[in-house]
Amino acid sequence: MLELERMGELPELAVEAKGLTKRFGNFVAVNHINLSIRRGENFGLLGPNGAGKTTTIRMITGVIRPSEGYVRVFGIDVARERKRALRYIGYMPQRFSLYEDLTVEENIRLYGRLQGLTGNLLRERVRELLERFYLWEFRRRLAGKLSGGMKQRLALATALVHDPALLILDEPTAGVDPPLRRKFWEHFRELNREGKTILVTTHYMDEAENCDRLALMNRGRIIAEGSPREIKRKALGGDLVEIVLEGDLNPMELPGVRSVLEDSGGRYLLIVKDSGRDLPRIVKRAEELGARVLLASPVHVSLEEAFIRFMGESE
Amino acid sequence: MSLEEGIRKGLRIIPIVDKEIRQLVRDPKTILMVLLMPITVTILFGYGYGGKGAGKYPITVVDLDGGDGAFKFIQELRNSKMFDIKAIYRSKGQGFSSVYSGRVYASLVIPETFTEDLTKGRPTRVELYYDASNPSVAQMIMQAVGVVTQQFQEWAADRFGTFAITPMFYTVYGPKVKKIESFIPALMAMILQMVPTSLISVSICREREKGTFEQFIMTPVSVFDIIFGKLAAYFLATISDAILSLFTAMLLFDVRLKGTFLDMTIVSTVFLLNSLSLGLLISVFSRNQLQAYQASIFSFIVFMLFSGVLVPVDVLSSEARLIASFVPMYYFVTAFRSVSLKGWSYLMVVDQLTTMTLFTVAFLVLSLRFLRMEVT
Repeated sequence: MLELERMGELPELAVEAKGLTKRFGNFVAVNHINLSIRRGENFGLLGPNGAGKTTTIRMITGVIRPSEGYVRVFGIDVARERKRALRYIGYMPQRFSLYEDLTVEENIRLYGRLQGLTGNLLRERVRELLERFYLWEFRRRLAGKLSGGMKQRLALATALVHDPALLILDEPTAGVDPPLRRKFWEHFRELNREGKTILVTTHYMDEAENCDRLALMNRGRIIAEGSPREIKRKALGGDLVEIVLEGDLNPMELPGVRSVLEDSGGRYLLIVKDSGRDLPRIVKRAEELGARVLLASPVHVSLEEAFIRFMGESE
Repeated sequence: MSLEEGIRKGLRIIPIVDKEIRQLVRDPKTILMVLLMPITVTILFGYGYGGKGAGKYPITVVDLDGGDGAFKFIQELRNSKMFDIKAIYRSKGQGFSSVYSGRVYASLVIPETFTEDLTKGRPTRVELYYDASNPSVAQMIMQAVGVVTQQFQEWAADRFGTFAITPMFYTVYGPKVKKIESFIPALMAMILQMVPTSLISVSICREREKGTFEQFIMTPVSVFDIIFGKLAAYFLATISDAILSLFTAMLLFDVRLKGTFLDMTIVSTVFLLNSLSLGLLISVFSRNQLQAYQASIFSFIVFMLFSGVLVPVDVLSSEARLIASFVPMYYFVTAFRSVSLKGWSYLMVVDQLTTMTLFTVAFLVLSLRFLRMEVT
């Protein structure tokens, strides 16, 4: 992979949005959102259909104009200096947007040329991408005749043709089979390791666990932001732990416990401030109080649960 | 060399032209519209307005003799299969008027004493009054009459002894053009407007409709690249239209145009660019392909009505003439008539060419101005 030489010189913030708003008539699709995506981050924009994810993405790529606010990509204002910003952005739209009457190779070549590559460099780049995304043997096939997964791989290869520092993926795995979805995320993580900043939207909560940071969107607003773990904590007000013990005690007496979700005769579901720090202390304290601890472990909370809680709150 | 150093700035027209041509070639609609339609329309026009029969020259005969010799000569003319004898008259006046009016290319007069001269072995003659405004046809008719006369003389020499029949040729100036030729400008106007405009009119809105525009504008292409890239590609694809139609008309219907191929091509090219620019403008403003087709057809109807193809613009009301002055096809029809039928050089229709080009520039400027590099 050809490395972007200027990577080191790029500003710390890959994407910065302030007060970003888009109105379509009376409908506010995106409502004064702020976003900061750091260089090298794998950032997920999460939310149900119609939350305003695609509209936000389209304002970041500059294919629609914000009604209010601004977006900067590596410090470049997208609305004002779009062409300069485009050099750093690779974009894979939600809907397959390549030419179905051109072959796989012709599509990548066309985009290479439109990006300004010529001669040997163009040839090498096209070959490299065809091989990397397992498209080499299908290179002479018309894009319209590809399967869904192959179309997505072609779209990803095309988005990368100019080796952009920021890769923006709008629902890249929508309609892709689960095994292939995993494969895709492997590609994304690999690209991320190579130093590319990734902004990805999805409504699959399980996928979002792969992201370094997330923003949850609902009805045009960002309702929560942080790492998957932070988001879950915010949703519940802490970490969820399960304790099973013999003996009688009031769970609220245990250290770090904020609330009791479930109390079923010796089995407790508790919200604590920080499971890593609090669990050993809880075990110790419970035994001091004369109970025998049979089980003490953190409980996995799905993002979905967290998300549903946030949605409930925001409405 | 790193990728960073290899990235070139500047225009992106060539990859766009390349892409558009590949797409056009793969689209069966293109073959249908660019190749089949001009030929079909030309053939329909040819049969509808040609009416000259299968390669025969329409002539009339004036039989002043009325005897067996004249009867035999007329039979020879028919047997030669080169003439389509439209009428046999008894007076020269009728013969002349058939040429003046443009109904036939020539009138052959058989003099009063033809049979008598023939049977007595005296030298005699036939007189051909031909339309000199169409020299190439006149040439062919004179040759054919010469051949028939020669054969007739040999037959007569056998029977009545040695003598001579001399064909005499006289020129008459008929109206400048006839039938199918006069429809060539209309035919060319139709083909050079309908096909290119409707073909290119969907080119941008189709990209919007299919979603390819969203990816396309993520590259450093400019409005300029898109407009001129598409214009160049569609120009290359549709220029064959003009040439194809001209050749079809010439080969199948024996159309003899006075203009040189170069002059006709220059005038056609200027109008073709105008049609394509209009189509691009339609595409910029259309929301979808259906709208674009409708707008193309509408503009075509307006153009046909006010271009002088159906009714000469001079006889229209002053309001209609005002509309005509905003119809580029009107200038094309005027210019192409002069070049193809009168044999003028393109330099003599420079006014019309300039006006058409001004329209083209206006359409392109508006397209550049209003093409939004955004999705909706």
